[in-house]
Amino acid sequence: MIRIFIYSFIIFIFLINYSAYAKDLLITNAKLVIDTKTFKENLESNEKLPTDYTNNIHENITIYQSVRAGSDKTITVFFKGIEADYIKEMLGDTDYVIKDAEGNWVTSGIFAPYSHLGMADIGGEELTNDISSPGSSTTISEKASDSFNPQSVFVANNRRHGVTHAVISPTAAGNSVFAGTGSIVSLTGKYNSVIKERAFVFAQLGEKGTQNSGGSRSASLLQLKEGLNTALCNDFRNCRNSLERAINNININSSISNSESEYLIRVTRGNIPLIISVERAIDIIKVINLKKTFKRLDIIILGASEAWKVAEQIAENNIKVMIDPHNNLPSSFETVDSSLKNIIILDKAGVDYAITNLSALGLQGIGTLTQHAGNAVANGLEWHKAFAAITSTPASWFNLSLINNSLVIWDGDPLNITSTPTSMFIDGQAQSLESRQTLLRDRYNPVNESEKEHKYR
Amino acid sequence: MITFNKINLRNILILLSPIFINACSGSLDLKESIAFESTYAPDLSITTLITNAKIIDGTGADTFNGSICIDQGKIKKILSNNILNDKIEAVDINCTYTNKIDAKNRFVTPGIIDVHSHLGNYPSPSISAHNDGNEITSPITSEVYAEHGVWPQDPGFDEALKGGVTTLHILPGSANLFGGRGVTLRNYPSRTVQGMKFPEAPYTLKMACGENPKRVYGERGGPGSRMGNFAGYRQNWIRAQEYQEKRNSNRLNTSRDLQLETLADVLDGKILVQMHCYRADEMAQILDLAKEFDYKVTTFHHAVEAYKISDILRENDTCAAMWADWYGFKMESYDGILENIPFVHQAGACAMIHSDSDSGIQRLNQEVAKSWAHGNRAGLNIKKEEAWTWLTSNPAKALGILDQTGTLETGKRADIIIWSADPFTTYSRPEKVFLDGQLLYDKHNNIYPRSDFRLGYGVK
Repeated sequence: MIRIFIYSFIIFIFLINYSAYAKDLLITNAKLVIDTKTFKENLESNEKLPTDYTNNIHENITIYQSVRAGSDKTITVFFKGIEADYIKEMLGDTDYVIKDAEGNWVTSGIFAPYSHLGMADIGGEELTNDISSPGSSTTISEKASDSFNPQSVFVANNRRHGVTHAVISPTAAGNSVFAGTGSIVSLTGKYNSVIKERAFVFAQLGEKGTQNSGGSRSASLLQLKEGLNTALCNDFRNCRNSLERAINNININSSISNSESEYLIRVTRGNIPLIISVERAIDIIKVINLKKTFKRLDIIILGASEAWKVAEQIAENNIKVMIDPHNNLPSSFETVDSSLKNIIILDKAGVDYAITNLSALGLQGIGTLTQHAGNAVANGLEWHKAFAAITSTPASWFNLSLINNSLVIWDGDPLNITSTPTSMFIDGQAQSLESRQTLLRDRYNPVNESEKEHKYR
Repeated sequence: MITFNKINLRNILILLSPIFINACSGSLDLKESIAFESTYAPDLSITTLITNAKIIDGTGADTFNGSICIDQGKIKKILSNNILNDKIEAVDINCTYTNKIDAKNRFVTPGIIDVHSHLGNYPSPSISAHNDGNEITSPITSEVYAEHGVWPQDPGFDEALKGGVTTLHILPGSANLFGGRGVTLRNYPSRTVQGMKFPEAPYTLKMACGENPKRVYGERGGPGSRMGNFAGYRQNWIRAQEYQEKRNSNRLNTSRDLQLETLADVLDGKILVQMHCYRADEMAQILDLAKEFDYKVTTFHHAVEAYKISDILRENDTCAAMWADWYGFKMESYDGILENIPFVHQAGACAMIHSDSDSGIQRLNQEVAKSWAHGNRAGLNIKKEEAWTWLTSNPAKALGILDQTGTLETGKRADIIIWSADPFTTYSRPEKVFLDGQLLYDKHNNIYPRSDFRLGYGVK
């Protein structure tokens, strides 16, 4: 116990040193939901804890978080069996905000693994929609963050559902399988809410890719490989001299220019992920096989409706998948074997997966991620795995420690349809849960007793 | 204003039919009534007693523990345990059954009714050959029937059944001002649409407001604006009135016009108007249009802004079919709020959920649960049982079939779901689904329908 207190003391000194930037946060009486690894790494306890945290739900936890926006110096500590009063005493004059969770669920924020948040005002109105650029001659060099409007009403509307961070991605258009470069954003609504500008490159195979590349899977796969080849070749480590580069470039009638391929080099080096949308089992195998040539690729498959048929191969090759556990209809011929058991089988095979809500995804859709994860539980997935799949798992793919950057207090089980957040903190800052939707709600609420005309309310 | 009364109309038809048959066998009404007749024929032979049920009966009444006796596909008796002394099962005494199911205190509810679906007419797989849901060749296509575009092998029907949907209303799409006739189906595995048609359910007319018609026809001769939409409605209602008059005064010499026949039947109160309309101000103008031509709008579909005019909806006795949280995909859906359904309900208007989605239709209970929770969080105090009316009784009312289904009451069709847990949670799924007393889905006993399309692929 002494050791623990000494350790804690050191942490507090550290915190105090950096507390000038933002107020620290103390949440008491939390029912904390967090993945086992993070919990153990951050735990201070004078209780003897069971070694097996399979349910990942921990009651009576005090959370101390010291956050520097966008900084690596963020620290989050969980206390169990140590009185909150004692912790307050130790904090002394530190400037912090205290929040009593009153025994309610506390989690990290929800991380949306795929979205177009803030990239359009009205999806159906072309002028307001920057999700794709069919008339552009560039692809991979374009980054989603340049189209991101942090003050889009959909940011606040989704924040209200507990989403604190999101992947934002363009979609492929014109005659390229490459959609562009995607980004990671937080949902603070602030101008500085882009966390990573170049977080991944997105390419689309399957039916979408065939449309863009001229009409067949043969063409789209070739186009993808050409792009990767060009990048490999342009990477100084792979092309020994300029002559060789020139020869390669002439030989490869590449679908992407040299300048575009520069932005793929981080992908071929494995520094950032390559997200590929693909559905059919045999197409997934083709994607897996890319790793034979491009060994360092960090591949995430988006869609993956038939992944369950090739789950073992996906696991063996360390390919990650983003899937929608609602998908169970043969919506197209490439998804004829969509099944609710997809996620269950992938889990058993040891695949690293995130849950998306592709079937409900629009600009406004990411708030329903908790429902999609909840349905994975209803279909047999363990609760903590479903929850990780919309929080820590996808966040870790982009090197984001979600629990250190976001905390949400809920009025019930966050995966249950009737629950909603009551408080939210991003980078230590309390977030408003008000949005254009709640303002409309308040104006027209039947319990609003105002006699005024609606426009004056 | 004409108030639609199905029972009276049916009685009138029954009274008149023999006369037509004898005196004028070429009559319009008769021809129409025998076209594409329902051949729906469930197996009514099994008599079932469900005991230890936690019953939400769909009337809005409190949940009660009781038993349900099913005979000849109908609810013969439904008794609350509270009425009885403790463990005595009075139903047991009065119910002769071939099959007894102990619900083990699980929730038992009426089967779900989706008032807005395109299963069958936009089936899976979604390929161009399957686009049979909208006759996008003219803004006025009231002559088409949704049922003629329905493929009974849509795998979506099977999945909807697993989600507890026992009745569903298939509509034409929303490109046209007058889209055509909708059809109400039993979610019964059948080789033919006729085998699914809800016997004696009234036909409906799909109409559409706003952005879709003007977008689709803006560069194809119009309408190109909301003004053009309204002019189109009015011009055609005038034509329909003339046709109606001609048909009434000189029935035998009027040659049939399918397009006007549908509209005239609306004016006669025989066909229910189901109108796609998002914006509050537009719905209010449509209600005036209905007054001008003396017909009734039964339901506004996708009524994203219904909460802004819930009082007007109540006064007009017009229902609103809504999503829980779809909004923002086009301008007329921009003002969607999560409390739309409970706000409309609170105002005393007829509110209901609808899917318009082959995915959403599988979890309509969850859509209602989240709406209900958001409404109460906003300060309302709506009971779960009241919210359940958004899933079954109000859609039944909107389709003119509330006398047959939508609640668990004596004499009604035994359309029943036994849930694994409280249907107001995500973790609850239907375990058993009955249609007219016939067990069509049993999660744990491997009973489920499987479309022809599914054969030869990997999903069993």
